Amino acid sequence: MGMRTMKRMPANAKIANRLFVAAAGLSASSPILFLLLITGIVLVQSIPALRWMGWHFLTGITWNMGSVYGAMTVKNGVTAPAGASYGALPFIVGTLASSAIALVIAIPISLGTAMILAYRVRGVVKSALSIVVELLAGVPSVVLGLWGVVVLAPWVSSALGPFLTHFGPAIPFLKGPVGTGMGLLTSGLVLALMVIPIITATTRDLLERVPLHYREGGVALGMTNWEVVRHICLPHIRDGMIGSIALGWGRAMGETMAVLMVSGSAVNMLPHNLYSPISTMAAVIADQLDSAMTDASHMAVHALSALALVLLMLTLLTNLAARLLVNRSRGSRRIDLGVRV
Amino acid sequence: MGKSIAVENLRAWYGDQLTLKGIDMELEANRATAIIGPSGCGKSTFIRCLNRLHETVPHSRVEGEIRLGDEDLYRMDPVDVRRVVGMVFQKANPFPMMSIFDNVALALRLNGIRRKRELFERVEKSLRMAALWDEVKDRLRDPATALSGGQQQRLCIARALAMEPDVLLMDEPTSALDPGSTLRVEELIEALKSSYTIVIVTHNMQQAARVADRTAFFLNGELIEYGDTATLFTKPADPRTEAYVTGRFG
Repeated sequence: MGMRTMKRMPANAKIANRLFVAAAGLSASSPILFLLLITGIVLVQSIPALRWMGWHFLTGITWNMGSVYGAMTVKNGVTAPAGASYGALPFIVGTLASSAIALVIAIPISLGTAMILAYRVRGVVKSALSIVVELLAGVPSVVLGLWGVVVLAPWVSSALGPFLTHFGPAIPFLKGPVGTGMGLLTSGLVLALMVIPIITATTRDLLERVPLHYREGGVALGMTNWEVVRHICLPHIRDGMIGSIALGWGRAMGETMAVLMVSGSAVNMLPHNLYSPISTMAAVIADQLDSAMTDASHMAVHALSALALVLLMLTLLTNLAARLLVNRSRGSRRIDLGVRV
Repeated sequence: MGKSIAVENLRAWYGDQLTLKGIDMELEANRATAIIGPSGCGKSTFIRCLNRLHETVPHSRVEGEIRLGDEDLYRMDPVDVRRVVGMVFQKANPFPMMSIFDNVALALRLNGIRRKRELFERVEKSLRMAALWDEVKDRLRDPATALSGGQQQRLCIARALAMEPDVLLMDEPTSALDPGSTLRVEELIEALKSSYTIVIVTHNMQQAARVADRTAFFLNGELIEYGDTATLFTKPADPRTEAYVTGRFG
């Protein structure tokens, strides 16, 4: 009898375990709670603007608060100042185009850097380079924006832009005029700088985890370093690469401050070439929220919320698509192992 | 046709550790040479110097001379060296994301063989030489990982043979295989050695006795004894060789 009671779990251990399970469950469910909450609020806030504009919210190119101090009009059951029009297409295009340019620049550079870091340099050089890459990820975006305005935009305007216009006859989008340098290309370049450390760090880790005996197999067949990376390592890390690119893309689409500073803040126009001023959804929200508050009908705020909704959906879709791609190629390789807590 | 290899005063380091302490050795063309010796004796390092794989390891270093036929191996581009000196590893390492066919075809494609017909013929020839063709001819598009361990190792042999090398290095090629698969690989070595210079590292002395014309005994980074396989196993000149082949250590 004495032995039996001794073997039983003490009461405080039981309570501690219950607390642990409850706390862990709460923490684990908080991401989904936050996501639902944020999406819900943004959705509710954007409904009036979506009713006001209908599908034209996605296809219109005029973004105008109307005469805020004038008479109100009612359309589709919602009230807004006369002349208010919210067409988000230029901002959607600006976001997609600038982030796409960023990825086109960032992917090869990140891959090259990751290759060097994983397979080429060793010892002190390797740690120094790795630290630099991580430091780059930590540069505040407002600092990058400032650099973009002071250094990058003038360079794009006076050197890179004029150079690229030579290809204008072949690729119409590269035709001038180049303008001030504040615009699509400079935004893409600044965004590339922010995305490179993200993709580089992940890719480096992935490359380092490719089993040595596969790489040696390629090397022993007389493959060059690049051939080994291209034909053996890249197929091996494909899934993870897609994930890290999606992560970088999400970052590029959501980036606000740096883009706001170098985008040229275009309104009511679509980009007509690589150098034209743009605006992105994130930049417009940050830029216009202050003046939107002056709209007594709150329609301007609702419109910015709708913009936020589109941005949120795009980011979620990007991540989901990446997930799907990854899962489709992988099947379900992950096996549930170990002790259930 | 195989080429001979002449090794002169070969020394190799991992960091500060000297793993090969000056090896002098002639490997005959179109013969199988076995390298035996206890773990850590430098036998793997030795053959990894013969295709210049040793130097790809961080902090490694090599000194000395290796001649392949009449060429200085360490003056050639290492990529070119590995195209004429093929290697099969201890652990079968077919490329896991590729089909059986592509495992053999990849290196051929990279060498500029693009025409489908020629590619297919070379792949078939290599798979036949590796005695794998009959088992895989109906499922060349299956992933290489669907094969058994022994089949995977023969696929790796086929992959190496597809490059039509002069020399085939084998680093304990059967140590991870079951007896049946081991036998098939040994039969393969027997069949290949008339046209390739084969160097096989093995822990298994019976295997050395079965497949090798010549055998070298390594100990602590030194070549202790080297001669005809039969002589080395039955009348070893060095007491250390005798102790090892009679199973008194190692």
